[in-house]
Amino acid sequence: MKRSGYWRVALAAGLAVLILAGCVTRPPPKPPSYAVLLDNPDGTTGAITITGSRGSVLITRSRFGANLDGSAQACIFDQTQLDADFKDVLAARPQLPVSFMLYFEGTGTTLTAESRALIARILAAVASRPVPDVSVIGHTDTLGNAEANEKLGLDRAQLVAKLIAEAGLKVSELTVTSHGEFNLLVKTPDETPEPKNRRVEITIR
Amino acid sequence: MKFVSTVAMFALMVVGSPVWAQESIGFVKTVSGDASVTSAGKLVKAVPGTPVHVNSVLKTGPKASMGVTFKDNQVMSFGPDTELTIDEYLYAPAKGDLKFAASMSKGTLNVVSGVIAKLKPEAVSVKTPTGTIGVRGTNYVIKVEPQ
Repeated sequence: MKRSGYWRVALAAGLAVLILAGCVTRPPPKPPSYAVLLDNPDGTTGAITITGSRGSVLITRSRFGANLDGSAQACIFDQTQLDADFKDVLAARPQLPVSFMLYFEGTGTTLTAESRALIARILAAVASRPVPDVSVIGHTDTLGNAEANEKLGLDRAQLVAKLIAEAGLKVSELTVTSHGEFNLLVKTPDETPEPKNRRVEITIR
Repeated sequence: MKFVSTVAMFALMVVGSPVWAQESIGFVKTVSGDASVTSAGKLVKAVPGTPVHVNSVLKTGPKASMGVTFKDNQVMSFGPDTELTIDEYLYAPAKGDLKFAASMSKGTLNVVSGVIAKLKPEAVSVKTPTGTIGVRGTNYVIKVEPQ
């Protein structure tokens, strides 16, 4: 009992802080323009900044938001209000893109057995979407110069694109590009060999 | 240029129809009710598969909604009576070209950020009549009351 009493006091103190911060004004008579941060689909939380004529606000907690003019501090939004304003929006959200990573034997251009085995799953994922567009992106590690790595990434991407095309890929659009050494899966310093970074990423949207 | 044309040719080869890979920056994936995409002054009714370009104006009717997925995996969806213009879109990480800028004049929007926000968060912004939203790899909603 004593413990729960403590939490009640802590909660009341928390509420008092929110009240002092001006959060009791919600929902206002005519809802203003506002933005609210939500949890990322992977469960993490990012951050947004709002910069308006009346100030700037940084929001780092899920379901917290603020007016777009930057006039008030961030505060938590009631789920009922979020549902009322954004239910249609969230229902219209397209299926999130899905990515597959393919790896090569050593530094060469032969896919590993595990990666070859993924091709059937990739085709199935493409087939499950109504209007799929697919990108094939070649990535390298940071060994060697950036220009050579862009070219190497493109060579590998084209190889993989050819493989999945031959396996029967049917899409609205396919793009084949290279990010070279600028989009590392494992962050490393320059001139670092890292097998996990030598990959081709297939993304299905 | 040589690189771009190689990519375009490859896309043509595989798809077998005149789809210019370097021009579209995303596609409409979901539509409910009346929605449109206006590109280079030409309005088309939005259907799943409609391409989106830089400077496209995306619009939904009073009872409509629409979802768009961009090349960098950013996912946007629009509630009823919403209007948003894509001002800038650059997605070429190997060249260091990363930028997403949009202007929203009214309505409701959900954004799940993509690779541009991951690699260069300060290059992503959504401008509204009263303020600008910047992101750091994130999922967020915006409501803009018409001025």
